Amino acid sequence: MSQATSATPPIVSLRGVHKYYGTYHALRGVDLDIGSGEFFSLLGPSGCGKTTLLRTIAGFEDISQGTLLLSGQDMRGVPANKRPTNMVFQSYAIFPHLTVAENVAFGLRRRRDLDKRAKGALVDEALEMAGLDGFGPRAAHALSGGQRQRVALARALILKPKVLLLDEPLSALDKKLREQMQNELRRLQRHVGITFILVTHDQEEALIMSDRIAVMFEGEIAQLADPQTLYRRPLSRRVANFIGTMNFLPARVNGDMLDIAGLGRATVKPDQAPGGMPSGDGHIGIRPETMSILFEGDATPAQTANGKVVELAYYGDMTYYDVLLDDTETPVTVSMKNLVGRRVLERGDRARISWDERSLVVFS
Amino acid sequence: MKGGGLRIYAWLYLVFLYAPIVLLPIFAFNDATIIAFPLSGFTTKWFAEIPNTPALVQSVQTSVIIAVITALLSTILGICAARAGAKYRFPLKAPILGFIMLPLVLPEIIVAVSLLVVILALGLPLGGWTVVLGHTLICTPFCIAILNSAFANLDPSLEEAAFDLGETAWSTFRLITLPLVMPGIVSALLISFTISLDEFIIAFFLTGTEPTLPVYLWGQLRFPQKIPVVMALGTILVALSVILLTIAEIFRRRGIARAGGKDTGGFL
Amino acid sequence: MAMTRFASSEASRGLLMVAPPALYALLLLAVPLAAIFAFSFWTQDFLTIDFTPTLKNYREAFSEPLYGELILRSVLIAGSVTLATVVLAFPIAYFVSFHVAPNRKSLWIFLITIPFWTSYLIRVFLWKVILGYNGVLNTTLQGLGLTEEPLTFILYNANAVVITLAHAFAPFAILPIFVALEKIDRSLIEAAQDLGENRVMTFIRVTLPLAVPGIVAATLIVFIPTIGDYVTPRLVGGPNGLMIANMIQTQFLKLNNAPMGATLAVIAMTVVTVIALLFIWLNRKWLRARS
Repeated sequence: MSQATSATPPIVSLRGVHKYYGTYHALRGVDLDIGSGEFFSLLGPSGCGKTTLLRTIAGFEDISQGTLLLSGQDMRGVPANKRPTNMVFQSYAIFPHLTVAENVAFGLRRRRDLDKRAKGALVDEALEMAGLDGFGPRAAHALSGGQRQRVALARALILKPKVLLLDEPLSALDKKLREQMQNELRRLQRHVGITFILVTHDQEEALIMSDRIAVMFEGEIAQLADPQTLYRRPLSRRVANFIGTMNFLPARVNGDMLDIAGLGRATVKPDQAPGGMPSGDGHIGIRPETMSILFEGDATPAQTANGKVVELAYYGDMTYYDVLLDDTETPVTVSMKNLVGRRVLERGDRARISWDERSLVVFS
Repeated sequence: MKGGGLRIYAWLYLVFLYAPIVLLPIFAFNDATIIAFPLSGFTTKWFAEIPNTPALVQSVQTSVIIAVITALLSTILGICAARAGAKYRFPLKAPILGFIMLPLVLPEIIVAVSLLVVILALGLPLGGWTVVLGHTLICTPFCIAILNSAFANLDPSLEEAAFDLGETAWSTFRLITLPLVMPGIVSALLISFTISLDEFIIAFFLTGTEPTLPVYLWGQLRFPQKIPVVMALGTILVALSVILLTIAEIFRRRGIARAGGKDTGGFL
Repeated sequence: MAMTRFASSEASRGLLMVAPPALYALLLLAVPLAAIFAFSFWTQDFLTIDFTPTLKNYREAFSEPLYGELILRSVLIAGSVTLATVVLAFPIAYFVSFHVAPNRKSLWIFLITIPFWTSYLIRVFLWKVILGYNGVLNTTLQGLGLTEEPLTFILYNANAVVITLAHAFAPFAILPIFVALEKIDRSLIEAAQDLGENRVMTFIRVTLPLAVPGIVAATLIVFIPTIGDYVTPRLVGGPNGLMIANMIQTQFLKLNNAPMGATLAVIAMTVVTVIALLFIWLNRKWLRARS
């Protein structure tokens, strides 16, 4: 896959990285190259090792085995305060006894080459970039969540790190503010051109913001890809399940011919089995939005299937139907836009589904 | 008003708590040697007599010196223990920390006699420093209790953030940790100072030829004619304690506010 | 291996940090306690100590009725003090936790702790003034015409010791109960009332059981130091109010019999520990039986 390796030379490079806590194996052989200027996300459920990996890059955790290079330099034995990385902490870690400006200027203390005025100018510039004009003299403990996040960003970016590490920076914000900050972070990253590595458990957030995403389970990278590939061509059922919703149906596989329970026959291309084409028993995955329910007067497409609505959830703009296809045991979810004049089916109604073999993903 | 009956009970209870303390200034300003009602008139002569009682002045000096050294020692030991407890995992952590806290639940007489036995067995002379040793032992758990909440309220990522921004371990401690736990340190110093100043039993057993203030007072309580002076001194001590404790409480609250925590009330 | 090096470096930093207070406690607490224990098996004749291990002191302690009586009295007085203190303290803790506005709670706790920080000796002495034959209480009662004769059962006996100690240890009882009550999620109370319980039954079925840890802590915190108290029995206890600490002091400082004093100290410590453990055990058993 061309997207799995970045075009620019890697700024972060991990080879065979393992991390043990006592007998607990937190990282199980991570290989990863992250390019200069990339917005990269580490995505996974809690306890998958994504935060450990981030803290390893920052220098807060030793590597038990393997190597970590930052801009080509081996980081073994280099402590966090000597690394060209800076971090935005989950709690933001704003020093409560300092003002906003003092917080932002904190990392400049050791810069003997800058005089007071030059430092002041840098602080003003960083505050402006983070959208904190005029907040300098404020007391840090009186800030709102969104403002604290901005201070944390300004404080880290003022040092012009090669890599900015963000540990679930948006998880403490409410939904509206989170969406706003997602856009801002993305814009800020393009503006400064620094590599961002974001840790998140929110797949939507990762899809929206990232150039590339590494999905992690149990200390291993399960898939490394750009958002579209990750969504359309998940390597495994587990990844598919973690990114969005996917229906799975058992299928008989014979070369590129499939016989799918409830749906019927289909032919697929090799790239529709990113994890390798199985032979004999397998599964297919199909996303809810790639299927639709046919109403009277709709043109009849080539591939259809019949079933019964067993449950539905009305979301306003969308309706999600659980349809039990004939001769199957578990219902599939079909999402439908609530267009003008389109009626909403009821529980127990018969439903005719249209689907497209090009949207199938084949798993073992 | 909620809890009418309870409220009355609470006020009566406060009367019970404050009854002896209220009597103190009454008799300190009463112009009679006998400590009893009815009162006979207002005087400040008992206060005037304090500086003219050399043994009393001497015992106050001894006590203050002991209390200052005790406060410093037990706060430093308390910082070590609270820091170790909040930041590190190490083998036998709970038993070690529990053992350090043990004097809190040990009758003071036991601490006093056991120290006395060892000091006498080693042939060491009793004196101010033996009292300091005993007082530091019983004050350290109090300091730990105060400092524990100061260190526990400290978000560990604050220290990591400072380190990440280029500071060393030591400058991180100086620039971040110390300012944030300083209110806890101040109240630990004040509390241990107050405990040492007031402690009697250990001082009684371990003091040498120079008695501490409580040991001196103990001797005076047997002589009725000396008691009004004791009352005057007690009044000054109460006033001082209240001032010190108010300062300690203000610092503690400021510390909690500064670390962004929630007030859970009280030193203990 | 790198991983063990990391783990051990954290452990060694922690141990290094905890070492000063731990060594201090080891040298000035563990060693002296061990010495007391050793002393209790030795004997003393005037100023020379006989290091031959013997159970003589313990035999004497158990055969001489005075010692047994003092220990029994100490336990009884400490028990009464604990009961009185905790029972009197609970309503205060409850009041402050449930009926005082949140921003005034600190003030109340502060008011309750202030008397505790004023000279213990002087406070005890003032109780003597209050409870005495010509004391504040008697002159007031007579002045109001409530009593003819001064009350004599309130000074120089165990009653006086109980009253004085209940006063001295009040904050020790109030604070742990208050903390336990503060931790109770207020919606639990509302849930109980929503499920049909009245206020009294809500208190008995929800509030009280959840406050048990605080009550247990209060009981132990009051009981343990009280049993070893020296000042109060001496000042207000009279001859029938003396406790084991007074005898330990006498053995050490007046009779020059350190081994006997040590023996009594060991016995006192054992009694305290056994009672405390028994109390905790009964409590655990009771809690388990409930759940």
